[in-house]
Amino acid sequence: MVSEDVLRTHLQELRRGTVVVASLVALRRPDYGYALLQRLSDHGFPVDANTLYPLLRRLEDQGLLTSEWNTEESRPRKFYRTSDEGESMLNRLLDDLAAVQTSITGLIQGVDR
Amino acid sequence: MNTLTDRYLAATLRSVPAQRRDEIATELRASIEDMIDDRTGGGADPTVAEREVLTELGNPDELAARYADRRLQLIGPTYYLVWLRLLKLLLSFIPALVGTIVAIVKVAEGSGFGAIGPGIVVALHVAVHIAFWLTVTFAIIERSQTTVDLPGWTVDQLPDAPVHRGIPLADTVASVIMLVLTIAYLPFQHYQSWVRGTDGENIPLLDPALWSFWLPALIVVLAGSAVVEIVKYRIAHWTWTLFGVRALLSLAFAVPLMWLALTDRLLNPALGERLSWLANADNRNVLGATIAVGAAVVVVWDLIDTAVKTRRQTA
Repeated sequence: MVSEDVLRTHLQELRRGTVVVASLVALRRPDYGYALLQRLSDHGFPVDANTLYPLLRRLEDQGLLTSEWNTEESRPRKFYRTSDEGESMLNRLLDDLAAVQTSITGLIQGVDR
Repeated sequence: MNTLTDRYLAATLRSVPAQRRDEIATELRASIEDMIDDRTGGGADPTVAEREVLTELGNPDELAARYADRRLQLIGPTYYLVWLRLLKLLLSFIPALVGTIVAIVKVAEGSGFGAIGPGIVVALHVAVHIAFWLTVTFAIIERSQTTVDLPGWTVDQLPDAPVHRGIPLADTVASVIMLVLTIAYLPFQHYQSWVRGTDGENIPLLDPALWSFWLPALIVVLAGSAVVEIVKYRIAHWTWTLFGVRALLSLAFAVPLMWLALTDRLLNPALGERLSWLANADNRNVLGATIAVGAAVVVVWDLIDTAVKTRRQTA
């Protein structure tokens, strides 16, 4: 029986990069931090708040997200949206994710490429 | 107003870059309030909800480090191995070297055995300084944005695999300890031989006149032998060059010893005053001959033994 710790570490490793992909996809529709967190976890991407909030800033610094302050509601919220640059990088990432899936399937079925 | 949230924000913002502090503060506060609202909406007590949310966000220093993209390590994997190698290299000889120099200076000032203490203290100080300053330097390199261009690893750096270690570590350690003890005994017997004169003063076993040349010369030879033992361990097997050096050093120790013993110059003449047996010239000659024969047997046996080992290990 594999220990819970080992399993958790490997799952974490496997999930790490997918948070970026999921965020870029989700933010094709603009959203603010906590709402994005909930949307992601509703869609099976549970992510810690202390990981997601700094990540959004980093993606913004890298030019993959743009942001806009919305001050109309009860409290000011920063809405993020995937930029054109973010969109083109997202496509590359999605292609790669699909390629990984294809490779794994091929490997499981024992088919040579 | 000094709520838990205020304190949490202050603690987090303390270590994020100043130019974005306000923006992060506004956004983080909104996010925290969103999270609290979500819980109180489900019927939770606001104070409990606040505590839960802040606990979930975790240590503010850690969160700040994520915002600032700062590394939570003193020396990361990029520099760790270089740091470790340099540390080992520097610690392997500098403290011992400086300590020895200090001890020698103290001896020259006439401290005798009192020189050992300051030597060890200085060596320890030097070791601590090396470790501290090297680590500080690497920690700064780690935090500066400039990447230091380290030479990449190549296969040529691979050390020889110790396929067959012909020299066990225990043998080397034992030999070196024996040599060091012998070296230490030479000055030691001068001050403390447990043979006392009539008025209680110490009588050295070896003739004090030998300190003018022969005893220092023998000490140098013994020190050389210790170096050969260490070199031999590093090479990990006997070679004919090593055999030659070792044979030369053995002879350089044994031949003067035998000569001094045979010409009755080895032992302190003053010993005859206390040990009447030694006052007799014939007895002294017998003792000298015994020492000389003993030394000769040891050297010949050692040379044959090493020659056999060298032959086997170079074959």
